[in-house]
Amino acid sequence: MKYGDGTLRGVFYYAGALIAALAIDGCATLGGGQSSAVLRAKNEVAPALVHIRPVKEVFTSGQREEVLIVGSGFIISPDGYVVTNEHVAGESRFVKCVLGDKNEVAAEVVGVDPYTDIALLKLDVGRPLPYVRLGDSDRIEAGELVMALGSPHGLARSVSLGIISVTDRYLEESQMGAEPYHNWIQTDAAINPGNSGGPLVNLRGEVIGVNAKVLRGAENVGFAIPINVARDVITQFKAHKRVRRAWLGLALQEMLATTDDPTQRGVVIADVDPLGPAEEAGVRPGDVLAAINDKPVHARFAEDLPALRQMMATLPIGESAHLTLQRGSETVAVTVVAEERSALKGEQVEFGEWGFTATDLTPAIARRAGLDARQGVLVSGTQPGSIARNAGLNNGDIILEMDNEPVTDLAGFREGYRARVEARRPLTLLFVKRGALTRFVLVEQDRELLPATPLEAITETE
Amino acid sequence: MTHNRLNSGTPPRVLCLLLCAALLIPAWHTAAQSFTQEALAELHAQVTPAIGIVRYALEVTNPNTGEITKRDNLALALIVSPDGLVMTHGHMVLENSQPFNIKVFLGRGDEEQEYEATLLKKPDDVNVVFLRLKSEERLRLPHVRFARGATLALGQPVALFGLLGDPLDYARGLIERRIGAILDKPRTTCCLDDAVRYGYVGGPVADAAGRVVGVIGFDLSRAEGGDLYVRSGHPLVYQTDLFQRYIDNPPSETEIETSGDHAWLGVFTQPLTDRFAEYWELPANGGLIISTVVAGSPATEAGLRAGDIIVEFDGTPIRAKLDRDVPGFTKLVREAGPGREVVVRVLRDGQPVDVTTVLGTRPRSAQEAGEYEAPQFGLTVRELTTDVRIALNLPENIEGVIVRRVKSGSVAQIARMRPGVVILRFGGHLVTNLADFQAAVEQVTADRPQEVVVFGRLGAATGFFRLEPRWDEP
Repeated sequence: MKYGDGTLRGVFYYAGALIAALAIDGCATLGGGQSSAVLRAKNEVAPALVHIRPVKEVFTSGQREEVLIVGSGFIISPDGYVVTNEHVAGESRFVKCVLGDKNEVAAEVVGVDPYTDIALLKLDVGRPLPYVRLGDSDRIEAGELVMALGSPHGLARSVSLGIISVTDRYLEESQMGAEPYHNWIQTDAAINPGNSGGPLVNLRGEVIGVNAKVLRGAENVGFAIPINVARDVITQFKAHKRVRRAWLGLALQEMLATTDDPTQRGVVIADVDPLGPAEEAGVRPGDVLAAINDKPVHARFAEDLPALRQMMATLPIGESAHLTLQRGSETVAVTVVAEERSALKGEQVEFGEWGFTATDLTPAIARRAGLDARQGVLVSGTQPGSIARNAGLNNGDIILEMDNEPVTDLAGFREGYRARVEARRPLTLLFVKRGALTRFVLVEQDRELLPATPLEAITETE
Repeated sequence: MTHNRLNSGTPPRVLCLLLCAALLIPAWHTAAQSFTQEALAELHAQVTPAIGIVRYALEVTNPNTGEITKRDNLALALIVSPDGLVMTHGHMVLENSQPFNIKVFLGRGDEEQEYEATLLKKPDDVNVVFLRLKSEERLRLPHVRFARGATLALGQPVALFGLLGDPLDYARGLIERRIGAILDKPRTTCCLDDAVRYGYVGGPVADAAGRVVGVIGFDLSRAEGGDLYVRSGHPLVYQTDLFQRYIDNPPSETEIETSGDHAWLGVFTQPLTDRFAEYWELPANGGLIISTVVAGSPATEAGLRAGDIIVEFDGTPIRAKLDRDVPGFTKLVREAGPGREVVVRVLRDGQPVDVTTVLGTRPRSAQEAGEYEAPQFGLTVRELTTDVRIALNLPENIEGVIVRRVKSGSVAQIARMRPGVVILRFGGHLVTNLADFQAAVEQVTADRPQEVVVFGRLGAATGFFRLEPRWDEP
């Protein structure tokens, strides 16, 4: 169950209290020692700071477009690995990086991970590059001075100063509603659009976080991904270009969701995915998970959940894991075989002749749509005035059949689509799912889409 | 000098204008029979005593979340019989909104009279609503008499009578309009040439002969295709023949229109357009393609399936080709009578197949759903009706009750419950329907535990809420 609004509201009130506290204390000024420490730390990181300009593929209103955006990043090794956000470098066609010496070089995207919003790039310039030192984000404290470096609103090489406001902010609504694998570092160092992917640096000149988001409408409430989270992801990217996570098909809730009794230990199973391995093993919502492979687990507060999810994600894929469950007064032991978690986002494709875009169904979308198995493709947009729009195809429709043949995935649909476009087949019948209902959609490829006729022309032909 | 010159220059022009006027006005006058000022004043005096105001509260249900909002509303009320039958516009009763606490105000100033009113069953085929004033004495009210058989022609001027707004203390006003268009589908319908203010909707329409020939309507009824015109800004004139029979024989009294008397097949359909017919190589005779068969409906039991094309229902040919033809079929089924055995002829793979089915009773809608309030938790829930299941895409096997309201500051709100959550368990008790929920609440209230754990579903996911009841509160 998502409580996004509540969480964000909580953050908002917290920010309000923080601002009030600062106002009472008056404006803080840095002593001479601190000021030179800030300068030293900045000088250590600044040469490795990267201004990133990716050209991204964006799908809007049934059309694929290429858009130039601006972000930030930092070099982590002399051989040119660069860390940034997935929302900066993901779905990009080309990525250009402007280095500390203002030279621009092309970068290769090594890996992107929407679950943590981390991406890894590789620069190849044939010479060793300056790089940052990574700190330990498990050893940070609220109140510590930090700097955010990056390109706010595209203004490269900008530095802002603040403190760590909270070390472990839990934001339930992460990307696309997936349950988060980490807490966030909250800071009041100014972070703006364009700072994304830039480093959050402590006074020792170590990178402790990757700046990634801000609370809109608030002042100086920014969030960074802890560098230890990024470090794990980077290791996986270097090993196999993607992050492999184990998936049991469980959603967790903190113990407080069902009891205020602090002696109760474990974590509440809030939801069991009907297509997941845990369902098959007989796990039920309301069970309390007490141990995984005999190792006790406990999450009294929501902030304790991401670490548990991360622990479950590292279970060996394809191997058995033993779960100890508390079901009422009974202790139940079950064995589950962890599957690999599927991609958070489906591939997106434009079908230009008919004027719409579609994407593969992710398991989350399939479940929301009430489909028992992976089938169909999801319409993600239709162009005004297009053949698809004329036929009555809607954004959000799931195409289940084309000319009575089941549509299983995007690749298969694409093939059938191509054949029909090339053969100029006049009529194609789609069977789509729209919410709880189904509907037939007739695509009329032979219907000419005329440009609007001026009134004069109509009069003349009479 | 200037003055003089101007004077000397004007006579020929004035003469010319007068001449034109002399030639034109009588001709125009006879052709279009416009209103004289005296005629308008006379009509106003005759008609406006029958115009009152209906004030009511409206409960509007959001079809997607089930959330209910309430608001106050008012509209023009037209007295159509001396004994207290009142006609008003049909938007008072819509699919997801239900009026209550209805009061009609007649007369003005010190003579204003307030009446409670009962809502009568809304007619299917015209978008008006009738009310019956409650009174212990026999009423003898000023009322409007409609002329029968009068037809309106394109370009004909009409006088409209209605209410001016609150700042003008709802003075009864008049305006003149023309018939700007006559539509021939789905039935002959006159449109005005320009918009009118809300206060005129439901008000009487008079022709230049001084006859009251109809009322201003918002829109067509649902059976006729619903809100085809509401967004065009051109109000419609409902002519007398459309509604007079309801004045002669008023509809029965009903609190809420119940679906219990309506038959149900359980299919969603779309029209067989000529292009669909071409695709399936069928004759272009129209029909209804079954697009969805509702689970657990008579249609499912009879073996009807998506893709079947209905061409005949209980002996009546179905020739739907356009979207607006669909409501006619819905009406046909609804009025066929629950429990009746009917034969539905469908085309399946191009071949006619006769399917015999016993019509069911239309399932209750969200509006008619039973509701239960548990004030100790600040929760109001409703039973899960078929329409809500469809709106929320809830599978058949999910049984529970749906949260409609969460009181601000309540125990439920603190636990982050919100409208739309489907409650599956309450305090350890399984909840499959409203009675279960009520029993669970009563049991929990008797036990007075410190915490009540609620298991619910929102969207496709499930989760828990922990309520901490404030038992000591009165």
